[in-house]
Amino acid sequence: MAARERDDTGGQDMLRRAGDASVLILTSLADGSKHGYALIQDIRGFAGLQLGPGTLYGALDRLERMGLIEALPAEDRRQPYQITAAGVAALRAHLDSIERVTRAGRLRLGLGAI
Amino acid sequence: MPGPRSMRLVESALRCYPQRWRSRHGDEAAEIARLLIRDGTPAHSVAWSYLMGAARTRLVTGSRRRAGAAVGALLVAVASLGVPLALLSSSAPANAASVAHSRGAHPRPAHPRYGASRCGDSRPADPRYGGWRGGPDRCDRHDHG
Repeated sequence: MAARERDDTGGQDMLRRAGDASVLILTSLADGSKHGYALIQDIRGFAGLQLGPGTLYGALDRLERMGLIEALPAEDRRQPYQITAAGVAALRAHLDSIERVTRAGRLRLGLGAI
Repeated sequence: MPGPRSMRLVESALRCYPQRWRSRHGDEAAEIARLLIRDGTPAHSVAWSYLMGAARTRLVTGSRRRAGAAVGALLVAVASLGVPLALLSSSAPANAASVAHSRGAHPRPAHPRYGASRCGDSRPADPRYGGWRGGPDRCDRHDHG
């Protein structure tokens, strides 16, 4: 069972192939709606990463197509987005998956549990 | 506020997006660019990110024929922006992408000979816009597909 991963959480990890930017955006939107610049600032704050604006829009379009986020009515020139119920489920499944890997990695490195 | 040269560079990159994308995101994208440049992000880094985003958008949304045209347009744009062809054959595709550490993550202009011009513009590059040293854009380090 190498490349074909199972998911014990019951939910499919849709974000496995969506990329880090998608995970960062969903994590940022998890505590409320934000527009593009606010997303970049928030991600810089909690992850220490500067998301390129081209990457941001690519990920926003992809997440919207997947139904994981939705656009809210525009405020002036700014387009806010919010996470959907499907987005919350996808993020939760992905974080569970990461947590399992983290736990196994720490155990094998002798670092103990988190 | 960023100077007109910086914004011209960004607007050139934004023009590479499909019309439908520009009508939806264009104004906000320009606003984000202004704010990022004001915060200290180099204009060419922002423009490069939009240029790569435009290529990806066209590859995802366009037909195969249009995608081929997009790749051709991108190559012309990259050449006009002064990126050496050697970079294209070595590190650029593997590094084209998305996220970078915020500290010291931006390439610097290198040689005045390499100027930036508008996407698809056949006019000679303007050295006043600066150019790339030739390394991959570290603001777009990891490819997220």
